[in-house]
Amino acid sequence: MTIDMKKSAKNLATDTGVSRRGFVKGAAAVTGAAIGSGAITGFPTIWAQNIKNVTLRQFGTGVSNINAVADKVKEDLGFTLQMTALDSDAVAQRAVTQPNSFDIADIEYWICKKVFPAGTMQPMDTTKLKNYDAISKLFITGKLTPDSEIAQGTAPHTVGFVEGADSVEFASAPTQWMTLIPTIYNADTLGIRPDLIDRPIDSWADLLDPAFKGKASILNIPSIGIMDAAMVCEAMGEVSYGDKGNMTKEEIDKTIAVMIDAKKAGQFRAFWKSFDESVNLMASGEVVIQSMWSPAVAAVRSKGIACKYQPLKEGYRAWGGGIGLAKHLSGLELEAAYEYIDWYLSGWVGAYLNRQGYYSAAPATAQKFMSEDEWGFWMEGKAAQGDILSPDGKVMEKAGAVRDGGSYEERMGSVACWNSVMDENKHMIRKWNEFIAA
Amino acid sequence: MTRSIPKTRERRPLSFYILAAFFALFVLFLYGPMLTIFILSFQGENGGLTFPMNGFSFHWFGNLFERQAVGDFGGSFARSLKLGLIVMVVTVVVSFMAGLAFRRRFRGDSVIFYLAIASLIVPSILISLGIGLLFNIIEWQPQWFTSALGAHLTWTFPFGLLIMFAVFNRFDPSYEEAARDLGASNWQTIQYVVLPMVGPSLIGVAMFSFTLSYDEFARTLMTAGALNTLPLEIYGMTTNVTTPVLYALGTVTTGFSFVVIGIALGSVLLLRRRKGQKA
Amino acid sequence: MASDTSKRSSYFLISPMAAIFAIFLVIPLLTIVVVSFWDYDEYRILPDFIFENYSYLLGSSVTWKIYLNTLKYAALTWGFTLLIGFTVAYFLAFHVRSLTWQIVLFMVCTIPFWTSNIIRMISWIPFLGRNGLLNSALINLGIVDQPLEFLLFSDFAVVLADVHLYTLFMVVPIFNSMMRIDRSLIEAARDAGASGFETLKSVIVPLSKPGIAIGSIFVITVVMGDFITVRLMSGGQSASVGLQISNEIGLLQYPAAAASAVVLLITVLLIVTGLLRLVDIRKEL
Repeated sequence: MTIDMKKSAKNLATDTGVSRRGFVKGAAAVTGAAIGSGAITGFPTIWAQNIKNVTLRQFGTGVSNINAVADKVKEDLGFTLQMTALDSDAVAQRAVTQPNSFDIADIEYWICKKVFPAGTMQPMDTTKLKNYDAISKLFITGKLTPDSEIAQGTAPHTVGFVEGADSVEFASAPTQWMTLIPTIYNADTLGIRPDLIDRPIDSWADLLDPAFKGKASILNIPSIGIMDAAMVCEAMGEVSYGDKGNMTKEEIDKTIAVMIDAKKAGQFRAFWKSFDESVNLMASGEVVIQSMWSPAVAAVRSKGIACKYQPLKEGYRAWGGGIGLAKHLSGLELEAAYEYIDWYLSGWVGAYLNRQGYYSAAPATAQKFMSEDEWGFWMEGKAAQGDILSPDGKVMEKAGAVRDGGSYEERMGSVACWNSVMDENKHMIRKWNEFIAA
Repeated sequence: MTRSIPKTRERRPLSFYILAAFFALFVLFLYGPMLTIFILSFQGENGGLTFPMNGFSFHWFGNLFERQAVGDFGGSFARSLKLGLIVMVVTVVVSFMAGLAFRRRFRGDSVIFYLAIASLIVPSILISLGIGLLFNIIEWQPQWFTSALGAHLTWTFPFGLLIMFAVFNRFDPSYEEAARDLGASNWQTIQYVVLPMVGPSLIGVAMFSFTLSYDEFARTLMTAGALNTLPLEIYGMTTNVTTPVLYALGTVTTGFSFVVIGIALGSVLLLRRRKGQKA
Repeated sequence: MASDTSKRSSYFLISPMAAIFAIFLVIPLLTIVVVSFWDYDEYRILPDFIFENYSYLLGSSVTWKIYLNTLKYAALTWGFTLLIGFTVAYFLAFHVRSLTWQIVLFMVCTIPFWTSNIIRMISWIPFLGRNGLLNSALINLGIVDQPLEFLLFSDFAVVLADVHLYTLFMVVPIFNSMMRIDRSLIEAARDAGASGFETLKSVIVPLSKPGIAIGSIFVITVVMGDFITVRLMSGGQSASVGLQISNEIGLLQYPAAAASAVVLLITVLLIVTGLLRLVDIRKEL
């Protein structure tokens, strides 16, 4: 029982990499490995036939684990993608503890910071990706434009690369080996019910305004919730931070103390943990102001209920996610996974994500799959010319509507911090638990 | 079966009506949330999981059989059903065997008994955590039909065993002795004497274990492996926009259960009447 | 010889159950105990022998608060399920006389459990919420003029959902005990001039004790370990021991979770041992 998860994961990968799916697929994988070693172009037919037998198992949160993507993969690439949706805790858990239960992990960057060093995933060779150059610089250098400032927190580029193919050390500058291929990201802020709030909201501090006593909510995922709390405390002038993305113990204690006072005063109606809870809280009128995700706002609005994704003067809290490869992938499956990742960046999914109110990591390719009006509404902050439809064809916004917060540059350009894992993570989580138990 | 309806109906005491009303209230309480589920499953096409109603439609019932944006009802439902049935069969057989074993004292019997009690009281999440860690350490892949099955069995066995205890403690061994005196083998005694007498309780064990397994969440959380059971899938779906299709699922499940039970009951009554006519 | 074969057959009959308990109960629990002494960082558990997990856990005021809160839920749920469960079991055992009807009524009580708990839990929100069915009804009837806020996301809501979920588990064992009561005892009591209430007090309640004990053990332990009900019904605003463990698992702090688990296990075992003192279940089942 010598059990270091890192070690056991490595053993797992080498022991069972090929034979895992039984003989037939094993044989396919061996063939694939032979082909994969350099002669792919020479045997297109064998390739095409074998790849149809491949099944890749992807898991992640429901945010991007969309069945439509699996369908499109089958159509475009020919192989089967099996999707499992989990909540964000379970995602981290499964990535670390069940390294053989998945082939592709769809995780957020702050989770990546925790998960990747466990050694259950393998970095991707960027030279094998045709669309690598289409990836937004935000994920390469951390800067949206050459002169923009890098936001606080676990910015994706800081955990986006490792030193080498077998390394689990994050690299300080871009290398050939990428941990996650970025797929989806957004700038989060407070959602409000403008029909139930009669004054303008312009600061994170408004979340704790006694006027909304018993009608406010915050999300209860410690690593994300603490950032929202920090935005609030900073805006109120209660606490000043060196780096919100990496707080000191003292800063954490002060932040939590403010939140506990608010909780004891009855400020919060509930805390939410899953996307759906936030929608239900808002739609049912239990809550009128809360931290929220963009498509949740859209979901409330699509029920005919007024809901605004309120831009705030202190800026946004951003998050990003990407897909990575399981350590055990090899041979044909690995080739298929690369094929899939490259395809992910080629625009169709990007457009799909953009239409949900998220952002695609390769905006230029996504543009090719969107109408001019859609691009104008979602990305450029222009008024919609016609009705804006959701990916499944429902009317999301009527003509004339403008996206809350405006254009891509306006929104992603005013990010104050990224979701993060801090050095004092253990302490932060203990304090957060005190807040919940208070 | 021995109890036929008495010819002259006994007058019910007042307490009967009070208690019947209490029972009715209890049932109403059990079905309280079902009422919201029922109403909201007719939510309009753009409606959400909460009030207000946004029109009235059968849209979500149709949608139940279509593919969802996220998640997979069909696969996870089939998995939960299969798992529930496996758990049911294993629990009935193993509990029955254990019940027979416990009729005599044997070395270690109290160990097993206290294990069963422990299994009942160890919080589900610990079982989940323990099995998840264990499988990780010995480098086995958790699967719904291995680790999750085991996790569920630790939950259903204590119930099965306790029910068997209750049954066999009341079981008069003279029936078996009579059978043996008439030359029946061990197996014949069990088949023709014991089984028919404990049959109804075994049906109880079966129903109980299926229900427990089908609805189990915590024990499956870390033991299901790559593929979700229905409760996990529903929970996972709530990480994205969920729709009243969840309620439609609830309404359909309930309606379907009523129909199945109605048919079962009807056929029992019918059989009994036929038997009565023959006699 | 005869006793030898019968012994052998006993071992044969018990072996499947023993094996399952060994693999899926004993070994996993031992794993938890071992891991509770390990160290951890962001993503790994590190084999070690430290008491830090325990010293933090037992030294933190949060732990005590959480235990107090969990015990409160357990006690309240136990009280309500016992009252309701006993009454319902009494009705089913003594007033419903045909086996068929007893089965039918049990079925009726079971059916709601076939709709996933998660769905039923979500549906409490539109039932108890500010604009929910119950509040609208109360307002329309003129009973209140402001929606009652305490109905949802409160201790009330947690206990309500627990009672809803677990009363049936109290009913079944009590019903079972009651069915074992020799009906002639009751008639004898009545003949001796005992009132209905006296019969209940001095005959039925004492004889139902084993059922009450089993039901209580079940309800208390399950509430002590619950996390999903507390999370959903309190709107994430209350903590329970189970929720703390599940949070720690979610954050990959397995050794911390294991330490909490061991402490919870000891607490539950103490409670159950206390209850078992009151009644020897094995004999009285």
